[in-house]
Amino acid sequence: MSSEPGAPAAMPAGLDATADELRRRIARQFGRSLHIRTLDTGSCAACEQEIRMLAAPHYDLHRLGFFLTPAPRHADLLLVTGPMLRAFASAARKTYDAMPSPKFVVATGACALGGVYQPDEFSYGSVAAHLPVDVWIPGCPPSPLALLQGLMVAVDRMAEKASQLTFIAGGTL
Amino acid sequence: MPQWFVKGLRRGVVTTRYPARPDPLAAILPGPPAFRPDALTSRIAEDLVRICPSRAFARAGGTLIFDAGACTACGRCRDQAPAAVTVSGEFELAATDRSALIKRIPLRGEASTDEVTA
Repeated sequence: MSSEPGAPAAMPAGLDATADELRRRIARQFGRSLHIRTLDTGSCAACEQEIRMLAAPHYDLHRLGFFLTPAPRHADLLLVTGPMLRAFASAARKTYDAMPSPKFVVATGACALGGVYQPDEFSYGSVAAHLPVDVWIPGCPPSPLALLQGLMVAVDRMAEKASQLTFIAGGTL
Repeated sequence: MPQWFVKGLRRGVVTTRYPARPDPLAAILPGPPAFRPDALTSRIAEDLVRICPSRAFARAGGTLIFDAGACTACGRCRDQAPAAVTVSGEFELAATDRSALIKRIPLRGEASTDEVTA
């Protein structure tokens, strides 16, 4: 996240609140039109299959103001899949650097969240080990509905539910 | 696909109403497990830690730590312990904080020792 020129430079006491407010203002600006660049850092392509289905008539992400773009320079959000292979790390960094600020990074799928591969000489094991991640979307692969919810959370049009879930049956699930 | 075709003929619209309204197809999506703490013994918890292929489970004292971000919804834990593990049916799992996806599940008879041993 880049800061705005008018934002206060140093606010030690309320810094978190200021950062949250700035994040929400940026998200609201993207709320009506957000361009997405997908980045495959070594996934099995199941996540790509689901991302592709977002543009199909049943899900139709364009009705919500989301658009897929092939150019990082046109993108506001980087939708990253896969465990971030080390061979792809410099390309991923260049893609991230080429995007104009402010920008979001969304880690998509269990590999990108660090669930499937351990860090080793071939991969970082998770996207967050190499790029600053703003939203995490679990799933293997995440369904198009889950992806839509993640995108809506990224632009602050839906509240995130994950922190309220307990995964206890019959409880406050 | 056939049901979308029929729906399209009837209404002229095949597009889901989600997120304005719930999507009925969400009910059949694979999802992460939910747990019954009254049936979840420490022995079952050790089995789950051992069999999970994506290392979504860990033990910490009297609790089972479940990482919903690492879960691939493969269903092996439900097959291993059908009495203690069921399907959550939850798909709206996006998080703005990675640690929000890591949950602590109390084990049967050991919930009171959680704070001491964790």
